Amino acid sequence: MLQSASCGFGYLALAGLSSASPANLAPRLPWVRPRAKRVIFLCMSGGPAQLDTFDYKPQVGKKPHPGSVAEFKRRGESGAWVSDLLPNIARHADKLCILNAMHADTGIHAQSMLQLHTGDRLRPAPSMGSWISYGLGTENQNLPGFLSLNTSKPSVYASQCLPPIFAGTPIGINGEDMTHATISDIRGDHLPLRVKRRQLDLIQEMNRDHLALRQNDAQLEGVIQTLELGFRMQAAAPDLLDLSGESQATLDRYCVGKSYEDGTCRPSDFGRQCLLARRFAEAGVRFIELNHGSWDQHKNHRRDLTANCASTDAPIAALLDDLDQRGLLDETLVVWGGEFGRPGLTPGNGKDETGHNARAFTFWMAGGGVKAGYTHGSTSETGAECADGKVHFRDLHATILHLLGLDHENLAVTQGGRRIRLTGLEGGRVVNEILA
Amino acid sequence: MFVVVGSASAEMLPKQREFFESKIRPVLVRQCYECHSADAKKIGGKLRLDSPADMLTGGESGSAMTPGDPDESLIIQALRYEGIEMPPKKPLPASVVEDFVTWVKMGAPDPRENLPTRPAAEITTDKAALWAYQPVREVEVPPVKDQEWPKDPVDAFILSKIEDAQLSPSRDASPSALIRRLSFDLIGLPPTFQDVADFQVAVQKDRRGAVRELVDRLLASPHFGERWGRHWLDVARYAESNGNDGLSRNPSFPHAWRYRDYVIRAFNDDTPYDQFLTEQIAGDLLPAGSPEQRDRHLIATGFLAIGAKPAKAMNDNFTMDVVADQIGVVGSGIMGLSVGCARCHDHKTDPIPAVDYYALAGIFKSTETLWGAAAHQKLTAPQTPLHELKTASVVSPHPETQKVLLSHTPRKEPEKPAFEHPLGSALAMGVRDAKTPADCKLNINGESKKLGAAVTRGFVSSFAGFDHSIKIDGKQSGRLELAQWLTHPKHPQTARVMVNRIWQHLFGAGLVRTPDDFGVFGDRPSHPELLDHLAKRFVEHGWSVKQLIRSLALTRTYQLSSDSDAQAQQADPENRLQTHHSRRRLDAESLRDAMLSASGQLNSVPALGSVIQETDVLINEMGDLHQPSQHRSIYLLMLRNSMPPELTPFNLPEATTVTGQRDVTTLPTQALYLLNNDFIVEQASRLAARTSIHADIDARTRAAFRHALARDPNDAETRRTRDFVSEVELMLASSEHHAVAGITDAWAVFCQALLSSNAFRYVD
Repeated sequence: MLQSASCGFGYLALAGLSSASPANLAPRLPWVRPRAKRVIFLCMSGGPAQLDTFDYKPQVGKKPHPGSVAEFKRRGESGAWVSDLLPNIARHADKLCILNAMHADTGIHAQSMLQLHTGDRLRPAPSMGSWISYGLGTENQNLPGFLSLNTSKPSVYASQCLPPIFAGTPIGINGEDMTHATISDIRGDHLPLRVKRRQLDLIQEMNRDHLALRQNDAQLEGVIQTLELGFRMQAAAPDLLDLSGESQATLDRYCVGKSYEDGTCRPSDFGRQCLLARRFAEAGVRFIELNHGSWDQHKNHRRDLTANCASTDAPIAALLDDLDQRGLLDETLVVWGGEFGRPGLTPGNGKDETGHNARAFTFWMAGGGVKAGYTHGSTSETGAECADGKVHFRDLHATILHLLGLDHENLAVTQGGRRIRLTGLEGGRVVNEILA
Repeated sequence: MFVVVGSASAEMLPKQREFFESKIRPVLVRQCYECHSADAKKIGGKLRLDSPADMLTGGESGSAMTPGDPDESLIIQALRYEGIEMPPKKPLPASVVEDFVTWVKMGAPDPRENLPTRPAAEITTDKAALWAYQPVREVEVPPVKDQEWPKDPVDAFILSKIEDAQLSPSRDASPSALIRRLSFDLIGLPPTFQDVADFQVAVQKDRRGAVRELVDRLLASPHFGERWGRHWLDVARYAESNGNDGLSRNPSFPHAWRYRDYVIRAFNDDTPYDQFLTEQIAGDLLPAGSPEQRDRHLIATGFLAIGAKPAKAMNDNFTMDVVADQIGVVGSGIMGLSVGCARCHDHKTDPIPAVDYYALAGIFKSTETLWGAAAHQKLTAPQTPLHELKTASVVSPHPETQKVLLSHTPRKEPEKPAFEHPLGSALAMGVRDAKTPADCKLNINGESKKLGAAVTRGFVSSFAGFDHSIKIDGKQSGRLELAQWLTHPKHPQTARVMVNRIWQHLFGAGLVRTPDDFGVFGDRPSHPELLDHLAKRFVEHGWSVKQLIRSLALTRTYQLSSDSDAQAQQADPENRLQTHHSRRRLDAESLRDAMLSASGQLNSVPALGSVIQETDVLINEMGDLHQPSQHRSIYLLMLRNSMPPELTPFNLPEATTVTGQRDVTTLPTQALYLLNNDFIVEQASRLAARTSIHADIDARTRAAFRHALARDPNDAETRRTRDFVSEVELMLASSEHHAVAGITDAWAVFCQALLSSNAFRYVD
């Protein structure tokens, strides 16, 4: 039946899926032993400069190159290099698993961003969060399984050919004020709650009468169910989105409400995003994506880099602290990175300028079954090329799925005769070296 | 499988070709051509590696290659840094060297000498999978057992398959279901209570006559174009801003709305589809009978200019990205084929080689695309001029928008306009021929920096059979010829794709259920003969969209009830046989328009222009530009990445690619919209107010049902409403809830329930 369904799934396709594969949000057992239950993806859009954050390249060899312009120190017992621009994340160096030899296929922002999220750089495809909630369902039936905060465009959180219930629910649009961003229409103060309940009862009564005259209509039944989920979300989500119950000390640790704005660095209230992520993780949301940008520092590299680091450093550290303290870090995989990285300053021109580098850049992960205090992969003398321990986005995807107990080879759907999976035609490799 | 046979490389297996294209050619181009090709300033060692023959002949050091024997081949020795070291700076990765070894072992199959001339693709096998490349057939209307049933040849095609499956069609739809279906399908608006009552009376006298009269009335309504124009705008990926360019900049397209109005009018005028396409692809090259017509032709070419572009910054492929969007919209939108796949490589399954892509690319590269200021961000898109119109008038932006504009301080001073148009000119997006049209060079792996040979401008070669007389005039872009080729009566796909789109909008799903992809990855038609019958009929009747819709609406098949029996459900769960009509949810626009109709607030006059016209800004910096409106939804501000909040929960297309079929999802965020959105709360209050002239509670219930559902409530519904209203009145009276924008009227609470109900939101 799926053979003939287009990527625009009608309810028929949905109904078909529910018999063979899971088309609902009910939690499901992973396929193999999972190391993580959920993912928090800290998406650093624009291409963060790895040479000034995690991949330290001082001028040592003969070849002149500007290398890292930020100061670095070895941190913690692991001695991992972390830039002085990230003093708070540096505190957590022993929790990090740093991947210094990431690579991707293109230095074009939009394409690489799409590849990072969906595995495909040219065509719309299901997003990583959609695949994961498709595979595992979600723990909290009062919330969607995939939330995407301060997100750039729908194609990065689209369920595409997976059933739409697995699409990301956006909170806030990239570039808009994240301080007040919320789920659309989540609040309805126009009526007292008990009137709303009575009203929904009437709607459902009418809908059941309507359905009784129209046998076996999965879509009409689906409406009746989602009305109830929407109603429950009204009760659950506003409280989660409301930070007024958090102590001032917590708000300060996360720097909630503090947004740096300088050059390419846009206000993202990353503190609020990180605190929300912790709350969503506690509430059992399967995949939470946060966004900050833009790290696309072509000119005024130092100024914008400083602002981007300052915007994200304390919030991320606070998130790691809290997850750790609550015993959630073991079961939560935190992933940090962007669509690619940057080369060092353009040599010889004396200007504060960088470009794009998709051939070598850095990601890090923490918690959820990855080695802690471990650095995997290295790059050439200038940091321009991977030297060893190369990890492609496809390998990253395969590894994330593996940590959640899913097999990237088999987490697939057939659509119009084409087998679709996150790691694409080429397939990826689980990076066993980084598994704890 | 089929094989694409090239003229001079017939002996090469597709696998070998692919290996060469993916592993060998890119390395040769990137690493060797600088010194070892005809284009090199000085040919290193007199060795050329850009043609197979020269590789064998070799240079100063002798033959570069012994096919089949890597160890004896100089090129392999050099790559291994054995004696000679190439490339000189540093050795290539071991895996690349290994690829060359494999290639030489294969015998060094090399397709390169074929490049300058385009191989005529030839399909040798699997005709079933490649049905879309076959000409439209002359088909016989099939015989049926129940000869009384069919009212049109279409019905015979449908019934014959139903009979073959030993099923039977459902009964005819009730008059009230039928008029509701026809109204939404043809004009996107619900019938009034009076419309339904009149129709029921007319049907009693003469069902066929009544339906015919109704269909003709609806087709003549100016709302027809607003409904069917919107379907085309989905195909045309219409929007009034560029969308996020990848760097979070979203420039406005302040003149795009003229294209929207052009499309609405074209459908209302029943512009023949071949002409409609020609105007959109080559309107600027057509003769015009009047300045007014000239303006319309120019506006039509906006079709090629309104696409979403990635930023120009750091993107060597920008020009080719614009071309890719244009090829995409022509390929998927008009031909139903994913030609775009061939940008980087020969299409893996369809017979569309990369050279075909670059033959088309040459046409669009010889075309100047006029998108205007792109909000004065040269890193997003360099400024272009726009078409100046002679007869169209300029309208000012919405006063509220101007307020937002005035209160806004741009993050950066906008660049100076590079192109000045006379003050007060009406402008339009569109295209025109470039000053020096030229063929396009093949971009290896889709990279504009890695160029192959130039490809003569032309069309998709797999379709070449039907007319050889269309040749591109080298001094023009070739768009006019492309339009002629696409609208040639014998083109296999153009009519098929459009009749399938029309079928889909009337029946809920196409005969081919992937309306934008009829290729190998696409769906196979459920009724191939019917599809060809309709395609032929469409062309023979002068490509008239209205006439085709009329004939389909008058078929017995269209007028079936949406009830289905268990047997049909079991045997044909997707209803591919059309044993009954498919029930459908109102789409985003129809839902909003229906709510405005119910509340009595709909302003059915077309909206003038757009709230952002004449407004070159970055949408992402502007806050909310959407203004309240009572006009039909098609006139709302359609900004990429910031669609009208009243519509977004219900599967609007992203407007970045051709969307012939919208998703129909059922999501909790839609429930939240129905329960809480300001728009529905407002319409519920208006509907309640509209019924308040009735003092009697039952009369008021009746009025609410008539406005919302165009029918009277039954006794149970009347009782239920009475109970609900009195109960909620008590609740509200005793409530301490004093929200500012709160509903205080129990009738509004009831009306919101009516507008949220499935009876309101679904069409049988």
